[in-house]
Amino acid sequence: MRPGCVWCGRRFQPQISLADLLRWAPLPQPQVCVACAQRLKPITGPRCPACGRAQATATICYDCERWGDDFVNHAVFPYNSDLKAYMQQYKFQGDYRLREVMQPILRRALAREVYDVLVPIPVAAETWRTRGFNQVTAWLTDQPYQQALVVREATKSRPQSSKTRQERLRAQQPFQLAPNAAMVLQNQRVLLLDDVYTTGRTIRHAAQQIYLGGAETVTSLTLAR
Amino acid sequence: MGDATLWFGRRLPVPGPATQPGKPALVAHHQQWRCQRCQQVVPPGDELPEHVPYCRQCLNLGRLTAHTKLYTITEPNRFSRVVDGGLTWQGHLSDHQQRAAQELLQRVRHQESQLLWAVTGAGKTEIVYPALAWALAQGWRVAWASPRVDVCLELAPRLARDFAAIPQAVLYGGQPVPYAYRQLTICTTHQLLRFEHAFDLVIVDEVDAFPLAMNPLLLGAIDRAQKPQGCRLLLTATPDRQLQRLVAHHQLAVTYLPLRYHGYLLPPLTVQLAWRWREQLTRGKLPAALMRRVRRYHHQQQCFLLFVPHVADLAPVVQVLRRLGLTDGTTVHAQDPDRQAKVQRMRDGDLTYLVTTTILERGVTFPNVMVLILGGDDPVFSTAALVQIAGRVGRHRDHPRGDVVSYCQSQTLTVRRAQRMIVQLNRRGRQLGGRP
Repeated sequence: MRPGCVWCGRRFQPQISLADLLRWAPLPQPQVCVACAQRLKPITGPRCPACGRAQATATICYDCERWGDDFVNHAVFPYNSDLKAYMQQYKFQGDYRLREVMQPILRRALAREVYDVLVPIPVAAETWRTRGFNQVTAWLTDQPYQQALVVREATKSRPQSSKTRQERLRAQQPFQLAPNAAMVLQNQRVLLLDDVYTTGRTIRHAAQQIYLGGAETVTSLTLAR
Repeated sequence: MGDATLWFGRRLPVPGPATQPGKPALVAHHQQWRCQRCQQVVPPGDELPEHVPYCRQCLNLGRLTAHTKLYTITEPNRFSRVVDGGLTWQGHLSDHQQRAAQELLQRVRHQESQLLWAVTGAGKTEIVYPALAWALAQGWRVAWASPRVDVCLELAPRLARDFAAIPQAVLYGGQPVPYAYRQLTICTTHQLLRFEHAFDLVIVDEVDAFPLAMNPLLLGAIDRAQKPQGCRLLLTATPDRQLQRLVAHHQLAVTYLPLRYHGYLLPPLTVQLAWRWREQLTRGKLPAALMRRVRRYHHQQQCFLLFVPHVADLAPVVQVLRRLGLTDGTTVHAQDPDRQAKVQRMRDGDLTYLVTTTILERGVTFPNVMVLILGGDDPVFSTAALVQIAGRVGRHRDHPRGDVVSYCQSQTLTVRRAQRMIVQLNRRGRQLGGRP
């Protein structure tokens, strides 16, 4: 018997189109039911060209103006209540199976990006011990990536998600380059990958370090903004 | 981790003072992993990197992996004795209620598990009070569990008032106060998963309600939370067929109370055929008989509830009613943020009707309503649901009668069974002197 939807657990019949039948390939085996797939609505309309936030106009948003740099981030989903519910179960309750919801989506999103080296944001050793996985690399299926960054020891006092905007902006540099990182980063176009872009502080800390490693350009992709 | 009482009769994934050695949370059994908290098999593939299995069934209570250990302290029943069981309720039981209450008490004394099958509006909660007071006076630890959080939230203040001398804890997902060790625990059945051999008496309110009915995870939770020598008391107005079979085979003791507290019989369920009502609805029409009845209620200023099978049916139905000139009503469904407020406005008389789904089938009391069911033959209306819905009518002493009309496309087995259950209960009720 087919297992149910990996997110809501309900049994469902996958929708098969005529095109799927005519393609002469194995039929698609979606992990997620139609109702859950509809909960996830990607950003399609106008967005901020700097941070990727969905908004009414395609002009630089106020938060990015305050940063005053030319960093570019792309985001797949708006960080709404459905995404929050997903991240809550996946990251904070540690439901590793839920990575399968995002794997195909992220595969398509990464195919749209232009880059040479993919660098996921690392998790602290302490987080790794309690959560048991890195929530970002778990979304990758067979895309090659370089773990060029590591979290400095004893910098992570409490989770970013529990801080206010001001506290987050004041945060210290949490990352450092991995020992052999300069070799893989030299003159490369690097794409950083993270789960949620909130203030942009984390991703900019990471970008700083990647530039120090000799990268040519650094951009980023996040699941949500 | 100072307070050892947190581990009394519970299983927690952190060690505490004086806890017994931890037991693995997931145990391999016939090449399958089984979670020791919810007793469910972990399907292959539910694992962390490096093939560490984890249980997704009870993930909401905190993740358990094959590396986790569960710690417990055997329930010591460390409570100060309250001689009379702390019952401060001043009310009065009718003769029938009194007889049922004594029956319950006798069986609880003998630690016998039992079912109280009392019609909707019989005053089940109060009937349990004497038995509960006796159990508490013995120093028993008692859980009052229900599959529905609404029931727990409604019950908690009543029990706090009626058993003022007994320390109580209320547990449900997202509760604002942390867990505390108390003699009387009011909780959702999910919360029982955290307990092990803790309770001498488990009272399960609305046993047949979703999601408990036929749910092996929650049924197992009740088994584990109860002490091996403990007993349980199941309360319902509409036992499912499995429970009825246990009763018929004398495997479960039963106390019937087929009469409401005011002594009137249940209103019978009437069926009216409404051919292709859903197609009519898409054309902006309701069955003619339903429209006539609704107009009459409107004319008489009579409040009513209109049940529909699905959330998607709410908007078109209320649109038709509004067009008929019935503007002082609204819709309620499970995800409605104003659910409580709307129900309260209906109670206060601000609204004359509610169009609703099965969420209002139990646990709500309006003093004087009529009930209409559109599409009573839809599979979402189980036999139990129909009997419960019919039980919304005539709950008040001053308005003991009323209409329950189901508009169906065809007669179905579930509708017939519901009618039969009401007829049977009324037959027993008449023997006790019930008035129609």
